[in-house]
Amino acid sequence: MSQLLSLNTEPLASKTLFEHLWASIHRVLIGWAIGVSIAVPLGIFMGLNPYVRAIVKPVFDLLKPMPPISWISLSILWFGLGEESKVFIIAIGSFVPCILNSYNGIRLIDPALYDAARMMGANRRQEIIEVGFFASAPAIFAGLQISLSIAWSCVLAAELVGSRSGMGFIIILGMNQSSPALIIAGMVVIAITACLISVLMDRLEKMVCPWKRELPQ
Amino acid sequence: MKNAQVKIEFRNVSKTFIQKETQKVHVLNNINLSVYENEFLVILGPGQSGKTTLLRIVGGLESPTTGEVALDGREITAPGPDRSMVFQTYSLFPWRTVLGNVEAGLRFKGMAKQQRRQIAKKYIELVGLNGFETAFPHQLSGGMKQRVGIARAYANKPVVLLLDEPFGQLDAQTRMLMEKEIIRIWEEEKGTVVFVTNNIDEAIYLGDRIVILEGKLPGRISGEYKVNLPRPREHTDIEFLKLRKKIFNSTELIL
Repeated sequence: MSQLLSLNTEPLASKTLFEHLWASIHRVLIGWAIGVSIAVPLGIFMGLNPYVRAIVKPVFDLLKPMPPISWISLSILWFGLGEESKVFIIAIGSFVPCILNSYNGIRLIDPALYDAARMMGANRRQEIIEVGFFASAPAIFAGLQISLSIAWSCVLAAELVGSRSGMGFIIILGMNQSSPALIIAGMVVIAITACLISVLMDRLEKMVCPWKRELPQ
Repeated sequence: MKNAQVKIEFRNVSKTFIQKETQKVHVLNNINLSVYENEFLVILGPGQSGKTTLLRIVGGLESPTTGEVALDGREITAPGPDRSMVFQTYSLFPWRTVLGNVEAGLRFKGMAKQQRRQIAKKYIELVGLNGFETAFPHQLSGGMKQRVGIARAYANKPVVLLLDEPFGQLDAQTRMLMEKEIIRIWEEEKGTVVFVTNNIDEAIYLGDRIVILEGKLPGRISGEYKVNLPRPREHTDIEFLKLRKKIFNSTELIL
């Protein structure tokens, strides 16, 4: 514990604990944002349009079972040891659960809701906005949540390999220095951060989808 | 009623669904039926008699395989604002409040907020849901949900109201209350109503006329009864029971 506290003041590899934590969070946010902003629209189009589904689904099914960490070597070869390779891993990790949830969120909408919208005079565009968007929002949001926690584990894995900053680096440093205290301190910070992230996402979800309790899951 | 104007006309309507590319399900066979203006028509049939499909064709959600259905002489090809439907499973938008659900159709039309609020409030009051405007559907009981469904349907000011076993999921008490309510609302709003049910009592309590759809696919019309009882009707009235027996005897094989 004392070591954990002292990390705040004593820099490790020229960075304090918070700077390391921020380095990890920064990577997660960028990678996650990239992964999600590609996956959500693609998943939605896959759900809505059979042609998009026919093209994307086979490629995606091939990528899906691959653990994102297995991309590490390739990503270092492609992007080097800098930020890009880590962001790439995180983006890949975020991408998979997000596209899957968006696709299923659209696909599993009760057709009776579309019928209701059509009977009330909605045109195709209004149908997609009213029913497609809202009815799939809880599922898409769940995808965002899952992908964020995966992104967090991806960043650690990425930082274990050739990194000079971040929480993963602290753990590796602890191993190299034969310092269990440093390793455990790093793990505790990682766990607390993950916990805070998920609480924050829960809060956000209740704000964005107040009706969610009703949806059968 | 015979002199009244024909509102909806079915001409030789048949419907076949194709399942899994090869399997054909013949759901409706050669339906000929006229629905008159301001009539409360009940279509009575057991499960699997194609009655919902019949209603969905009027709604424009399905199209007949052969034959045609016309509303005011024009063939029905798609849903339109002249028809509203009340669904058995309610099909309310769970993400909208009661008010948001009732005004949804008006919003689709692009009506101004002020105006659609006003209309929605009127219909919420008509179905007796004042004070629940800001509730979400999951906070309402089944009977209240269907009240929203009815308000939502009427808010669009339809020429024809279609009800697909609207009270099928309610308990017996609530169901009888809702039957009373739908008649009260209909007497206030008028208009042509097509009501689908599998319940003889409900059919006699509500209908000006009852059309029987025979069970087992494909569904076809096997009888028609006029109900000349004054409203409000009593389930235990002797004429009510006589008619009930008559319908029951003639259709006992299929119900």
